[in-house]
Amino acid sequence: MNKGVPSTVGEQRGSGYVGAIASISSEDVPALYEGAKFYSPALGDANKSSLTSWLTRLLDRNGPVSLMRAEVLPPETPCVSLCVIGSGSAMTDLPPSGNEFSMAVRQVEQATDTRFGAIYPLAAATVSAFAPVVAASQLGISLIDADGMGRTYALIHHTAMHLAGVSATPLVAYGPTGESVLVRTPAGPRADRLLRGNVDALGGWAALAAYPTTTGVLRRAALPGTLSRLINVGRVLLQYTDPDQLLVRLAAVIGCRRIGRGRIVELEHLSRPTDWTIPAHPSSLVVQELGDLGRQLRIELRSEIVAVFADGELVAAAPDLLCLFDASRGVLATLDSLEPGDLVDVLATPADAIWYSTEGMAMVGLGSHGIPLDHPRRR
Amino acid sequence: MPTRAGGPAYADISLQPRRQHAVVLRDHRVVSIPFVPSGPDDVEALLSRILAVAGGSLEAVTIDISQILRSAVLPGPQALPQVAVVRIVPVPASDPALARSPADLVERLIAHRFTVAGGHDLLGNELCPLDLPGLEAVTVRLALVGIRDIAIVAAGSQANPVHEQAVANATQAAVPQARISVASDFGGHGLVAREATVTLDCALGPLTDRLLVRWEKALAAMAPGVLLRVARGDGGHSTSSRIRSLPVVSLGADDALQISGAAHLERIENCRVLLPRPGGQVAGDVRNGLVAIRSGELTGFGVELVVPTAVLTPDRGGSSGDGLGRFTDGPVVLATRDPQELACLGAAVSQPTSWLDEFAYIESAEQLEKVREEAQERATAIVVANGAAPGSAYVAEVSTVAVPYSPPGTVRIRVRVAGAADTDPRRVEVFDRMAP
Repeated sequence: MNKGVPSTVGEQRGSGYVGAIASISSEDVPALYEGAKFYSPALGDANKSSLTSWLTRLLDRNGPVSLMRAEVLPPETPCVSLCVIGSGSAMTDLPPSGNEFSMAVRQVEQATDTRFGAIYPLAAATVSAFAPVVAASQLGISLIDADGMGRTYALIHHTAMHLAGVSATPLVAYGPTGESVLVRTPAGPRADRLLRGNVDALGGWAALAAYPTTTGVLRRAALPGTLSRLINVGRVLLQYTDPDQLLVRLAAVIGCRRIGRGRIVELEHLSRPTDWTIPAHPSSLVVQELGDLGRQLRIELRSEIVAVFADGELVAAAPDLLCLFDASRGVLATLDSLEPGDLVDVLATPADAIWYSTEGMAMVGLGSHGIPLDHPRRR
Repeated sequence: MPTRAGGPAYADISLQPRRQHAVVLRDHRVVSIPFVPSGPDDVEALLSRILAVAGGSLEAVTIDISQILRSAVLPGPQALPQVAVVRIVPVPASDPALARSPADLVERLIAHRFTVAGGHDLLGNELCPLDLPGLEAVTVRLALVGIRDIAIVAAGSQANPVHEQAVANATQAAVPQARISVASDFGGHGLVAREATVTLDCALGPLTDRLLVRWEKALAAMAPGVLLRVARGDGGHSTSSRIRSLPVVSLGADDALQISGAAHLERIENCRVLLPRPGGQVAGDVRNGLVAIRSGELTGFGVELVVPTAVLTPDRGGSSGDGLGRFTDGPVVLATRDPQELACLGAAVSQPTSWLDEFAYIESAEQLEKVREEAQERATAIVVANGAAPGSAYVAEVSTVAVPYSPPGTVRIRVRVAGAADTDPRRVEVFDRMAP
């Protein structure tokens, strides 16, 4: 275990749970960053030093943030989720001024006449994993160890809370321009549609505070332990950069497996029909596998990897968490910086069980990406 | 009297804080020149030794100043001028950690910081009108504080530099003796990375000028007509005057040149090179004869830069118990020769290069092809300005990726262009003046 990390209470092994963490301190920031990248390998490191330095200084200044299970807090405790909506690339080019996340929370408080006692991540992955930690530190309130996605999906109603009947609104998007948008609608999909155009006008990204509820509701409506899991995975990524050793460790703690290893030989765009209401147009990646099998891996992309075909056969698909690991550099290969010639491992990790339910698959499965095939787990 | 016999000769020089190392490459032979300690006449002394070996066949001198620049930037006796930074964003930072650079070594170069409201998004759409009264107040302050070196960075300036240019123009009018660097000269991705890049560029300007002017004068006096080239962090080279305009592109050249020098010695175009380092062995890759590069953090700097440098990875070589092994499917070269000699050899085989990293919006495959062609044309124009012979430029690498979680159609394009070095000094000078 890394020196100086907070104690891990309890230790269980198996897919989806690797031990709860009691608090997040500045020493956890590197693991938080790496874990967040694993659960959504969309964005590269162009803003890494700025984000990690900001959160490190914040946690040094204000002390560690308490990380609690929803069950630990009184069930009537009001809480709200936080994430970054929009593009991490836009955020890299227009970094936060610093108060976007706390202002989004405060404005939902005004809209609901509530004082929140806790915050939880809407999606514990990529820069969205940083947002609730920042706000919890700034506002001095607890952070709940649960989230709505267990990774990231493209639309804000692709959450466990939505499946459990919790309304996403009223919600507030607070942008780096100092402007904000309040949305009230009973329908989750409408909330996303109403928000997207505004996010572009706010600078391409915004702090989003949504799904105001109570911890009592959250006990049944969110995915528990996902922030702890993310930090634990981040620690593994920091400790092992040898691709084979890393795979063994990730297989043990989260059920990760390697589909294949090869070199990127081609990047294609607009390779499938485009639904212009969903972020990022469809594109594809062709990886020529090394070794005896020598298969051609075709990887279908949107904002995340949505499917992997090996010699034409579907071998993995959303909602599996699919990512690429740069085997020659010992780091995650992010989707915004892939290049022909890169040598990558294609990794697949099971998502949280809720996403393989009929309702979950209808929302985030292959069909939602215009690929009318059964998931490999269902064949 | 030196005479020309056989093929042309090239001299390659690695400048270090206390001494200068050189090799002469001629007819595939490498001749090491005894080093010269730094001093008042070191340039002339080294040049004399080079000319004694190369004689009248000397066609070009390539110089690597990256170690001098790095040692000036890293903590130590302050040798660089203080810089004022003007940041153009819609809203000033409310958290002090976001108001500064995450890198202490960048921040200690900055004596004054100013923020002017303005800026554009990733695709160049205006987010906030430029605050003209605010700009006027800043230029008055800049004139009062008496700093000459001024770095300007605006959100979105790589896509739309109009606010950055307006601030630069107003600053130049208020502070006529100002030396201004603007981030849009470098393009790239990320406000913090672009700010760090332009700050370093600004601070390194006077030192780079002094170094290169000495070499230009010595060459003009002792070897008229011999071209002076300067190594870049991407393993290529540019003309001396281009580097005097954009000195930060030289940072990291020593790493890239050592990698390409080691690969060249083994005559391998695709390989992994292992470089011994005091902190542990690192690896760099060579693909199709060019060093693998990315924009990112330069070792020890603590912040990302937008100028590309060699991708270096800790690598013990082979699988290791500490988890630091890496996988490679190609040949591995262990660089055992003297690093300075390898760097000189890498400089000798370097080419003029350019690199672009841009965002664009497309709605069809035809538009994608068009924006790629336009990016390649811009990169080609830059490589000619960097000293490539007209007609020799070729696209060495190009990649286009959809930008995740951005509006559909948003793409990131990266282009790397190289060319054959132009050997006509008059033509090089003309293209240099026409540089975009």
